[in-house]
Amino acid sequence: MSGMLVRTRVLALSAAFALLLTACGDGGGGVDLDDPGAEPDTGDPGVEGEGEAAGPEGGTLVAAIGGEPDQLNPLTTTSSFAFTVLENVYDTLVQPGEDLQMEPALAESWETSDDLLTWVFTLREGVTFHDGSELTADDVVASMEYIRDEGANGWRLEAVDAFEATDDYTVTMNLNRPAPNLLEQLGPFKGMAIVPSEAIEGGTLGDEVVGTGPFQLTSASADVIQLEAYGDYWGEGPYLDGIEFRIIPDEGVKLTNLETGEVDWIDSVPPEQVVDLEGRDDLVIGRTPGNDYWYMALNNEREPFDEVEVRRAIAFALDPAAIAEATNFDAATPNETAIPEGSFWYHEYAPFGHDPEQAQQLLDEAGVDGLSIDLMVTNEFPETVTGAQVIASQLGEVGIDVRIRTEDFTTWLADQGEGDFDAFMLGWLGNIDPDDFYYAQHHSEGVNNFQGFADPEVDQLLDDARVEVDDDARKELYDQAAERIVDQASYIYFYNPDIVEAWSPAVSGYETRADSATRFVDTRIEN
Amino acid sequence: MGRYLALRVGQAALALFGVSIVVFALMHLVPGDPVRAALGTRFTPELYEALVERSGLDQPLVVQYVDWIGRALVGDLGVSFRTGQPVTTMLAQRIPATALLAVGAMLIGLLVALPAGIVSAVRQGKAADYAANTFSQIGVSIPDFWYGILLILIFARVLGWLPPGGYRPLTEDPGAALRYLVLPAVTAGVVTGAILTRFVRSSMLEALNAEHVRLARAKGLPWRYVLRHHVLRNAWIPIVTVTGLQLGTLLGGIVIVEIVFSWPGIGRLALDAVETRDYPVLQGAVLLIAAVFLVINLLVDLLYARLDPRIRVGAST
Repeated sequence: MSGMLVRTRVLALSAAFALLLTACGDGGGGVDLDDPGAEPDTGDPGVEGEGEAAGPEGGTLVAAIGGEPDQLNPLTTTSSFAFTVLENVYDTLVQPGEDLQMEPALAESWETSDDLLTWVFTLREGVTFHDGSELTADDVVASMEYIRDEGANGWRLEAVDAFEATDDYTVTMNLNRPAPNLLEQLGPFKGMAIVPSEAIEGGTLGDEVVGTGPFQLTSASADVIQLEAYGDYWGEGPYLDGIEFRIIPDEGVKLTNLETGEVDWIDSVPPEQVVDLEGRDDLVIGRTPGNDYWYMALNNEREPFDEVEVRRAIAFALDPAAIAEATNFDAATPNETAIPEGSFWYHEYAPFGHDPEQAQQLLDEAGVDGLSIDLMVTNEFPETVTGAQVIASQLGEVGIDVRIRTEDFTTWLADQGEGDFDAFMLGWLGNIDPDDFYYAQHHSEGVNNFQGFADPEVDQLLDDARVEVDDDARKELYDQAAERIVDQASYIYFYNPDIVEAWSPAVSGYETRADSATRFVDTRIEN
Repeated sequence: MGRYLALRVGQAALALFGVSIVVFALMHLVPGDPVRAALGTRFTPELYEALVERSGLDQPLVVQYVDWIGRALVGDLGVSFRTGQPVTTMLAQRIPATALLAVGAMLIGLLVALPAGIVSAVRQGKAADYAANTFSQIGVSIPDFWYGILLILIFARVLGWLPPGGYRPLTEDPGAALRYLVLPAVTAGVVTGAILTRFVRSSMLEALNAEHVRLARAKGLPWRYVLRHHVLRNAWIPIVTVTGLQLGTLLGGIVIVEIVFSWPGIGRLALDAVETRDYPVLQGAVLLIAAVFLVINLLVDLLYARLDPRIRVGAST
């Protein structure tokens, strides 16, 4: 990172991906949609060793994941399972470090013009793809153009007008507006991976998996995906000979596989068992506050939810702590805003509490009586089904009748897209940058503003914050936006769940991260 | 026999055609948008349109059907919306696992049902009969995922004798393949066995009470001889039929067992496809299961004709 500026931003959480997705575990596996895979940090207490520590070398780590990746093209998949695997196979230009701050990866350094409209990235030299060919600026340009035109995350590049290979190791990006969070868009997860330009031209992306990461993919079938250490990896590590990913959809069975030693690592743990398992010495629980958040939205385009006082009444009637407890037991932190404590962008603000009297009073003032709400949830994310029962009971206390509608996720998405709901509960996963937490969801033009929220003040704040280049000034804008969004009850926020994984005590050098990126580059295993 | 065969094959083909229409129509009637499901929550309208066009979903349903069935006839079931892989490839990868599990479960089912059903019929009203009935009642009433999890807890976690799920191909290491097969096959087999036990018992009872059997006994023929030559031969026919049907049902109902035991079969593939409205994959999987079901039935019919010459004669006149 050099020179001219590069703001060493503290974007602590930055990369974002917004996704609704997840990997959460339900018994049947969970997941997919956009998912994250990437990296930030976590401040977690790591349960285990630090990567560099000395330890055994070699061996194969057997890792269990809850479902099958839909495809192995990192640029078009939206499956969290695909990213769990591909996190170890591909690299991005920059990547989130331990604190979710963006660090050099394939780009060794970068410079920006004072107006933040021109960004010049210098690539690391001598990096090779798994087929032996060398990484050059052409590969980066081809990857970026593919992502923009055909990738699942093209929206991340909407601030960029052109990508240019200035020489073999230099890529210049020209922007149409200042993008203080460009790094957070380029590196949050492997959906922004750099792939060989030949794979794009030849149309083999996804059929042939060729990355620059620490492991290369050697085979993939319906139940097992095998990775092998890549000897010419540009960074430190890997220390394992390989990783074998096995697909185990049932949560309980997955845990039993870990307990019996069939597998060494599992991607989730049933929430109700986390506390019990933490007391055991035959396995290690990796747990860290995550960047995901769960919320309820009311349809602002339907009466009486178009009235802010009605939305606020509902917010007052609900108890985020009770909802978090019911859905995640001990493994979540109640929060009346989106961004978790621990992030640079966290803003402490909790105006509602649990105040049914206030709720009742607001409803009376609004002249609302005998209200009935159609609450849409999905069994794809069991926490919404559980949460809905608590919501129904709490709203029942203030005379609101909640009818819970449980749908499969595909139907749910369609109904959400068509605005066919009074209310829904869902989560967003893996965001890092505040623009990703708020813009698409709460700007009146936001593509994910399914609740139809429109507030000129919020629009202005989000537009300004998006191009503000000073971190502190930017945070100030987001703090104001967050308060306004909460006060207007565009979303009623509930909690940030912990990311929980588990592994055998024989595994070292692995840590659970807030963005749930599963990086095994520093991992070792004792045989 | 030739005409009989041709007739049955023709009927099966017609049935398959009907199935294809029903599957296609039902799939497209279910609410939910496969393109939205594949893209997730953040995508541009251009990307959405492009995917709709590429997948042919913008065409009228009839055109989509004709296109699909036309290609299916030459063995091309299309390409998965989600994975981009040919459906035939995806199915082919999973057929061995499902076939192994279905055959394993059926063998276990028969191993249980034949002795239990026969003993219970022969000893009607005695303790053995009650025991068999109780087993059968429990077997059909308790859901298979529950047995599955119970078996995993006992045999994998507590005793550590068998792996808690997973699959190994028979071709690579038969010993390991069988070890991994035992628990899921028993889980699916218990239900099948419980159902079959009832059929075996009732068809045995019917045969036992037939007049010629009473006559044979009255003649003083040895009981074992009567059982083997007069009772079992006749009881056999309905048992074969039901076994065939049960194998088909097993194929369709094996989804839960595949999920509990991390078994990479057709059922799990189909379930994923339902959840994401991956029409080509689901249509392909259902068509395959239907075809297998029809082929099994055809074989059963032919076997019948062998077991009972009256059937063959009747059909060819």
